[in-house]
Amino acid sequence: MMYIDPHIHVTSRTTDDYEAMQKAGIVAVIEPAFWLGQPRTKVGSFQDYFSSLVGWERFRAKQFGIVHYCTIGLNSKEANNEALAEEVMELLPLYVGKEGVVAIGEIGYDDQTAAEDRFYRLQLELAKDVDLPVMIHTPHRDKKKGTVRSMDVSEEHGLDPKMVIVDHNNEETVREVLDRGYWAAFTIYPHTKMGSERMVDIVKQYGPERIIVDSAADWGISDPLAVPKTAALMKERGIPEEHIQLTCYGNALKAYGQSGQMEEKDWLEKEPIDQTKKHGGNTVLRGGQKPRVDNDSSNIIEN
Amino acid sequence: MMLLATIRQFLIKVLSQSAPRESMNWLDEQVVKVTGAKGNMKLFLAFSQASRYFSKETLALDESDQATAREIRSGFQPSFWTTLQTARTILVLEAVSEKNDDWIPTLDKLFESADMHELEALYAALPLYPFPEKLKKRASEGLRTNITSVFDAIALNNPYPAEFLDEPAWNQLVLKAIFMQRPLYRITGADARANVNLAKTLVDYVHERWSAGRNVMPELWRFLSPFADMEILGMFEKVLKEGSKLEKEAVTLACFHSEHAGCKELLDRYPDYLAAIREGSLYWAAVGESYDLER
Repeated sequence: MMYIDPHIHVTSRTTDDYEAMQKAGIVAVIEPAFWLGQPRTKVGSFQDYFSSLVGWERFRAKQFGIVHYCTIGLNSKEANNEALAEEVMELLPLYVGKEGVVAIGEIGYDDQTAAEDRFYRLQLELAKDVDLPVMIHTPHRDKKKGTVRSMDVSEEHGLDPKMVIVDHNNEETVREVLDRGYWAAFTIYPHTKMGSERMVDIVKQYGPERIIVDSAADWGISDPLAVPKTAALMKERGIPEEHIQLTCYGNALKAYGQSGQMEEKDWLEKEPIDQTKKHGGNTVLRGGQKPRVDNDSSNIIEN
Repeated sequence: MMLLATIRQFLIKVLSQSAPRESMNWLDEQVVKVTGAKGNMKLFLAFSQASRYFSKETLALDESDQATAREIRSGFQPSFWTTLQTARTILVLEAVSEKNDDWIPTLDKLFESADMHELEALYAALPLYPFPEKLKKRASEGLRTNITSVFDAIALNNPYPAEFLDEPAWNQLVLKAIFMQRPLYRITGADARANVNLAKTLVDYVHERWSAGRNVMPELWRFLSPFADMEILGMFEKVLKEGSKLEKEAVTLACFHSEHAGCKELLDRYPDYLAAIREGSLYWAAVGESYDLER
């Protein structure tokens, strides 16, 4: 089966992860612009980060046969540095129109401060202007209120719920998010967000419609195989194949495909994933590299 | 010196042969907006959004189009260009001027915020911008990339590097192309820019590879041919004795084009591929193409 991980910060992951993801059936990923652990202090750091999302990281993913998309936005945490946030807002129009940018995101609330509210609203307007979906990051703390508020404000600005993906849901938020017509994404991330067993129960209870599974794997303890692992668990526990296909592939494609920047043919019409083959006349590996043959337990590292 | 207006006209003509009418209409509208606008935002948006209207299919050019391209700008080979990059180049050429160079900061900003395909377009158009000598640093910077397609946009089928890069930057281009195993026969003007410093570095490189139990790409020998000395002759002989068929063919070619008396003597002892050279079936591009197929 093919999978999409529609929320993963692959910039923070190793090539081993890319290999494992490709082997597990992940054909495409979406990397939302977020913070980097260390707060940025200069607008140039944002610019280089956005450039790497549409440049180097896309190339890196391609070497492993995975199609890389991204979302562009100012995250809620760093919206609190208002002087810097204003400069970042001026930068966004340079990036939102680029190829493979499938949404404005991840935006929303962290502490739910006035500054976060201000930049969230500005970016909702930007999304409307450029006709892109929005990926909402719901807060870890005071989640339920924050989730409701994110939707209220989005509606105040006239966004159609079908253009908005509300991420990091849990058992307490899912009902209202679905009832109001939004896409409900769930992040399988140990300890802080969801475990895969809870995810299986949610799909059993709510069915597959508008539900999306992602990993949000980043520089913390997280799992880049969360989507295929959750899919396998769903299968083990008797969830129909079609529901697995929708929650771990089809829904994400439909939601973010509304950008016009993501289509199934992007990975279906690609050459078979064989690193010895060439992509458009170029080898997929950097110069001089040989394709990796296999992981074995030998201490010999190839020359 | 070519005129910007002539280049733009030519690009629009060849693009309209390959792209749908609606896409050309969009481009016409954008050109009007870009030229009429204050500030650069219209240019930046159109430059990015061109991907929604143009595909990455290669331009369809007939022989006379290709000849016109060479007349307008020697070494210009748009037959390697996609329709998308051609549209992007048309937009950028609207923003530059032959009269003064005050547009360079705008070009810098485009480079700094570009994605992978945008970088390919910007770098491949290096030979078309006015004030080309002011873009030498930009070209050298671009060659530091590890994204193969971006490197190729500068290094391959592009007359800019051979004409404008100084020797250290040029030598880096060739060395890096070898490291990245790019097809060297597609580097425009490579023979004319061969130099002894490059040859010396390549000799060291070959020794380093051989010590590590690795071989080198056959096209490399082309750059040692004009500077053959006793050490290089020794290398040639080693390959003629121990190399693969393609490596031996390459070294035979290098010897054939060398003036050094030792090379003629080597060829007398290893004449296997001489006939192929004389009948025209063995030449550098053929070596490069065979190597590409082998990998």
